[in-house]
Amino acid sequence: MATSKRASVVETAVLAPLDWIDERTGAVRGTKWFLFRNVPRDISWAQTLGSATLTAFIVQAVTGVILAMYYQPSTAIDPNTGKPVAYSSIEFITNDVTLGWLVRGMHRWGASVFVILLFLHMGRVFLFGSYRYPRELTWITGVLLLVTGMLMGFTGYLLPWDQTAYWATVVGINLNGTAPFLGPWLAEFLAGGPEIVSEALPKWYALHMLLIPGALIGLIVVHIYLVTRLGVTSPPWSSEMAGRERAASEPAAARTGLVRKSGGAS
Amino acid sequence: MARDRGELNREGFARYKDDVRKEGKPFFPYGLFHDTVMSLVVVGVIVALAIIWYVDADGTEAGILGPWYAPPAEPGTTEFIPRPDWYFYFLFYLLRIFKWPESVFIATVGIPTICLILLIGLPFYDRRRERHPLRRPVAMTAALLTVVAMGVLTWKGATAREALGSELVLAVPEWAERQGFADNAEAVRGAELFAQSGCMNCHVYLGEGNANLGAPDLSAIGETNDATYFVQYLTNPAAFGNNVMGSYAYLGEENLAALGEFLASSKGPAGD
Ligand code: HEC
Ligand code: HEM
Repeated sequence: MATSKRASVVETAVLAPLDWIDERTGAVRGTKWFLFRNVPRDISWAQTLGSATLTAFIVQAVTGVILAMYYQPSTAIDPNTGKPVAYSSIEFITNDVTLGWLVRGMHRWGASVFVILLFLHMGRVFLFGSYRYPRELTWITGVLLLVTGMLMGFTGYLLPWDQTAYWATVVGINLNGTAPFLGPWLAEFLAGGPEIVSEALPKWYALHMLLIPGALIGLIVVHIYLVTRLGVTSPPWSSEMAGRERAASEPAAARTGLVRKSGGAS
Repeated sequence: MARDRGELNREGFARYKDDVRKEGKPFFPYGLFHDTVMSLVVVGVIVALAIIWYVDADGTEAGILGPWYAPPAEPGTTEFIPRPDWYFYFLFYLLRIFKWPESVFIATVGIPTICLILLIGLPFYDRRRERHPLRRPVAMTAALLTVVAMGVLTWKGATAREALGSELVLAVPEWAERQGFADNAEAVRGAELFAQSGCMNCHVYLGEGNANLGAPDLSAIGETNDATYFVQYLTNPAAFGNNVMGSYAYLGEENLAALGEFLASSKGPAGD
């Protein structure tokens, strides 16, 4: 077959490298599998809440990395400001770094938006009854995401090392301490001693920016893999619900779709 | 013949996959378009919140979305409202409902654990195949009650008023008179420290303060022990089996002695 010159250029410059990668990783087929799978034709706006949650998480990740470039988790007194180093670094980010206030503001308020979206998304899954067979594990990874997401908020709250942060965390750690067995041990570990001491801050920082987000990312990957593999459910009130029961005479997929030609004849 | 649920489930899912393949629309671009619009809205809301917060506040001066930062953390002091971020208010308020040490455990561990187990187990105990909300009255009622309960707890947590150290300290002369330690300068100083050191976020004293986390009313605590004991107690409450109260060793010996004197002099107004 004769190929035009242009086509062969595209082939060597774009397709060949992609194919090279795909042969070794399956990445191209994977992306196609993700993007070009079909979803029910009647999915609703309520079903965008999951990806909205993901977007909020990505905002947190990006702004968090930028904050980490300036934030210092130390309670030593900064000789220049006479205030704790962590606190001064927060002041510096807010007042001096270019657009630092925006990054910090987005991170701070993004946390609240993230938590709200988590609950809204869970609410829609509940309303739609989408946690039933075969999506039980999607639901369970979701509950774990809810818990880890809230823990992100809890550990991040201490980091500015201001009065609100400190005292909220004192109360929080004391709550931990009332748990049996591990409770007191956990409280002591988190506080760095019988009261919150300076070693506590780096611990909370490590939890907040390494351990918990690591867990969160892992869970998100599993969650979205499961969603892609199992498909999302149709709204339960939809008359064209995918998987609906049919009268014996009506063959599956008898109606003609608007997007794709379909039906019993094909 | 009646078929079992597993079979029905599998058939239903096979039908689902078949329908999606034949009648569905491709995720790209149809699904992704909606997702992108929604994501832009989310980012827009976050940026708007950040701007309102920054423009309306100024340093430690709060705007409608609160200040940029509170004053630096100071373990030893005074005017603070220990309050977590708003999405923990419901837990925070739960604590005020359960007061004695035995039942605080219910609020901090018991209720959250039960809720989590109920949540994780949902797909396993709610096994009907019906998904329409109107035909799941029990589930919808339970959800509605949960939402209302969380809402009320959050609201109560948000409006709960903690007394500030600076307000409580005004009551010290009255305490001194009622307890009869007005001429004991050290006890009076201890009382001021007591009012300002956050003790009253957990302890009630002569009707002021909050009973929290199972902390006892200290109005007549002087009947039980002497000043030396109290100093030891405050230095390391954990050694006395109290894992709720943090150590107050950082207040320094002199302050602790004053606090001890104050506690020992608090024999209850009725007693003398
Ligand atoms: C985070 C809450 C909290 C704070 C803050 C707190 N306490 Fe306590 N305190 C408790 C609890 C709970 C107990 C009861 C522990 C028990 O029964 O084992 C207690 C017990 C005590 C006791 C012992 C009472 C007894 O029966 O022997 C004294 C004395 C005391 N607190 C004094 C203070 C003083 C003084 C301060 C401030 C410097 C303070 N507490 C701050 C929670 C708190
Ligand atoms: C970081 C947090 C989360 C992310 C990024 C996320 C992401 C997503 C996405 C993109 C979808 C598909 C589209 C949609 O239904 O909106 C989805 C579906 C789903 N999510 Fe989540 N989710 C999160 C948290 C949760 C939580 C807290 C739960 C419940 C406890 C949950 C349970 C489910 C279930 C069961 C589905 C399948 C719904 C269906 O098939 O219709 N997810 N999730």
